[in-house]
Amino acid sequence: MNGEFVAYCVINALAVLAIAPLYMSLIKKVKAWTQGRQGPSPFQTYANLAKLFRKEVIYSPNSSRVTRVAPSITLAAILVAALFVPLAYVPAPVGGIGNIILFLYLFALARFFMALTGLDAGSPFGGMGSSREMSLAAVIEPVTIIVFAALAFVFASLNIFDMFVISAASAFPVTPTLILLAISLFIILIVETARIPIDNPETHLELTMIHEGMILELSGKNLALMELAAAVKFTVLSALLINLVLPFGLVTTFSVAGVLAALLLFLIKGAVLSGIVGIFESSMAKMRFFRLPSLFVMAFFFSTLTIIIEVFA
Amino acid sequence: MVPFLLSAALLVLVIGILAPLAAAGRDMRSVRILSLACTALSSLALAAASLIVLLDGDPVTIFLCQPTPAIGIVFSLDRLAAFFTLLIAGISGCVAVYSVEYFDHLSGNGRRNVLCGAMNLFILAMVLVVASATTVSFVFFWELMAASSFFLVMYEYANGETRRAGVFYFIMTQLSTLFVFLGIIALFAGTGSFAISPIILSSSPLILPAFLALFTGFSIKAGIIPFHKWLPYAHPASPSPISALMSGVMLKVAVYGLIRFLLDVFAPEFWWGVLILAAGTVSAVLGIIYALKEHDIKGMLACSSIENVGIIFIGIGLSVILNALNLPALATLSLLGALFHSLNHALFKSLLFLSSGSVVHATHTRDIEHMGGLARRMPYTSALFFIGAAAIAALPPLNGFVSELMIFVAMFSSIPLVDPFVKVLLFVTLALFALTSALSAACFVKAFGSVFLALPRSPESEDATEVSSLMIVGPAILAAGCIILGIFSFQIFSLAGFNLPLPDMFLVGVLLCGTTVLVYGFLYFTTPHAHRVSPTWGCGASAQKPGSEYTGFGFSEPIVTIFSSVYRTKKKNVRHFYDAKECLFSDGIAGIDLIKVFEEYLYIPIAKAACRTSAAIARFQNGCLDTYLLYVFVTVVAIIVFLGWSA
Repeated sequence: MNGEFVAYCVINALAVLAIAPLYMSLIKKVKAWTQGRQGPSPFQTYANLAKLFRKEVIYSPNSSRVTRVAPSITLAAILVAALFVPLAYVPAPVGGIGNIILFLYLFALARFFMALTGLDAGSPFGGMGSSREMSLAAVIEPVTIIVFAALAFVFASLNIFDMFVISAASAFPVTPTLILLAISLFIILIVETARIPIDNPETHLELTMIHEGMILELSGKNLALMELAAAVKFTVLSALLINLVLPFGLVTTFSVAGVLAALLLFLIKGAVLSGIVGIFESSMAKMRFFRLPSLFVMAFFFSTLTIIIEVFA
Repeated sequence: MVPFLLSAALLVLVIGILAPLAAAGRDMRSVRILSLACTALSSLALAAASLIVLLDGDPVTIFLCQPTPAIGIVFSLDRLAAFFTLLIAGISGCVAVYSVEYFDHLSGNGRRNVLCGAMNLFILAMVLVVASATTVSFVFFWELMAASSFFLVMYEYANGETRRAGVFYFIMTQLSTLFVFLGIIALFAGTGSFAISPIILSSSPLILPAFLALFTGFSIKAGIIPFHKWLPYAHPASPSPISALMSGVMLKVAVYGLIRFLLDVFAPEFWWGVLILAAGTVSAVLGIIYALKEHDIKGMLACSSIENVGIIFIGIGLSVILNALNLPALATLSLLGALFHSLNHALFKSLLFLSSGSVVHATHTRDIEHMGGLARRMPYTSALFFIGAAAIAALPPLNGFVSELMIFVAMFSSIPLVDPFVKVLLFVTLALFALTSALSAACFVKAFGSVFLALPRSPESEDATEVSSLMIVGPAILAAGCIILGIFSFQIFSLAGFNLPLPDMFLVGVLLCGTTVLVYGFLYFTTPHAHRVSPTWGCGASAQKPGSEYTGFGFSEPIVTIFSSVYRTKKKNVRHFYDAKECLFSDGIAGIDLIKVFEEYLYIPIAKAACRTSAAIARFQNGCLDTYLLYVFVTVVAIIVFLGWSA
């Protein structure tokens, strides 16, 4: 592990942490606009997190060590996954960092701890959330792996870094296959980050909530860590989508000015994607839980279609 | 050095068998400790011997005896055999440590001594199956392994459920021996040799039947669907250390048999690989789907063994396919993945069986719906079970993830290189494999959550206490193995001489730990430490009751609904009426039962057909002397006619 890579790790992790809350507010803002409301300030999520970090933590008497450690581990797993997806500057991969399967399983690690946190306090809402989260994760997993296999097939590499380098080097990377893959990746983004029509992050209705159910019993800094982890996950998956489909501005050699410009460019592209997610969410209603597998089957068919095009082209 | 270590280990094991059998009449703890010490000691010697062979790479042969010129009892330890010997030795050693205190809690006085002896016999038989260099000794010790494990399963024979499980297991295991025997006879008929060596005359028509018979025999023993039914019966019925040995080790001996015959005897064809891959995929998916529905903790672990053996078979099948397509590097990667998963599954499954044995001991129930809240009452056992659950759910950086990653990488990398038919096959397998992996995460969140988290759901769980120290030490060694094999996987494979395209898990482990410590430390120093304990919100109810918690059934309900076509149910509605016109209802029974598809549509019809056939044959034996004289007469006439014909 050389110095350049350490610098990349620090920059990428800090950049993700700094940007992530902004996108959450932006989505809320766009949703508010579509509903004819003013909406919160773009910096509201930062204020919320800061408030939560200052508040006292309340534990249930039933809860075990799981509740105490899971929030830190969840955020750590997501942050390590964030190292796998360069936002602006792509160094040479070191020691298999960037392996797309490992990336997927780091999310599984975070999900495992989050689901256990949901069960820990003994609240029926937490159990409901965990159960739904693990069930949906199981059903979306084949789709994700097929999309990732298709990506590995298209870019002839298992490493996200190599994929970004290839996509950044080509003048016009948007091919029909990539557009199809982008649709599948977008559905994965919506599912993995628990947004409408999968889950409604705004409500605390027991009939609908998944992600909010799992973290219902958390408070103070534990809640802040989980919220931050969810925000970082959104940013990381958006970065995967953006840098594969619209990689312009991505730099592969290190220079302070270049990296800053690339980060700024990413910030804008991400903001646009957040806006699209906001409009997408406003334009549809939450689906019934047991109707969701059919949505995933749709994503599955898109990715299979991609593969068929690629395989037999 | 290696022959000495091997013979010493086997000799110590024989002492471990004979000592408790000699003292079978009396209940002597010292004899049990002696016997289990023999197990542990021989495990150390076996592990040392196999490590030497693994690192040197030189096979070692021990010549025992030559009863007839054609049949010799020869043992040989090459790298493959050494790998599986290491696996057997590692698990048996830890199980022995655990058993010292576990066996004290069992009922049955003097029979506990016999249990120790039979366990040692079982371990001896497994080691010798793996070390066999001829098919004759292979099948002999295979049968010894089957017979000794039957006695282990039948330990609590007074229990009707155990007797039923034992008989079921006995029939299945004898079927397995039958098929292995048939395969070996076919091999002998085809090649004229009892040695486990490559076939020179590959054109013999008996090669294919030999492979199919051996494959069926090994599949029955390994618990591949549709031969899997004995696992969910036999594992819950036997004492936990025995379940750990059977699930962790014995299934791997079947895997060893398959790999040994595929590599050393046959020249596998492409479609053999497809067959193994398909069998593995079906077992993996259905195994974990069945596991999600189980609420007996050991039954759930048994079903999950079906899933993991399925994953191992996926690796083997993929390797055969890639070899047939002339992609040796990826084939090796896939086979190494299968081998590594065998070792990993042995580690985490025996860890899970041992720690669930502790849980069952503490709560006196196997039903996870009656557990709960044990994380606070049994902190060490819960931590150990957690490591096992995380490893089996394939979470990085633990070992279960690494072996699944190897198979994933082999699939991902081979997709661009193969022709369209294989591509489609690989994509289907890949999707189902990913589904399996995610479902097993759901299954073990459910298991850990229901058993260890939230409020206790029964008075026994409420009063559960931590188990004694040796029952923690045994599984703790296995847990350490899970962590070390995961984190240092890259380095271990480099040491063994394989340079694999895998991420360095040590780096990932350091990153994960480092980030966790950073996050925790940063918050520790920057945020206030104020915290308060306050009851979970109970929707307005004054006190939270265990009854309001999410149950294991509830947890798996969405998955059961999504996969409802797999879980076939049968609605039963029987009504009785007072009058003939069915107006006045008296009583009735209604229920929804899960159909055990394989049992009801495959096993029972076959069993019934067998019963009918034997009943028909039994009529010939009616005990009447006149009839028998008639048979003799008919036979004599038939022989005369036959001889006259042929003359």
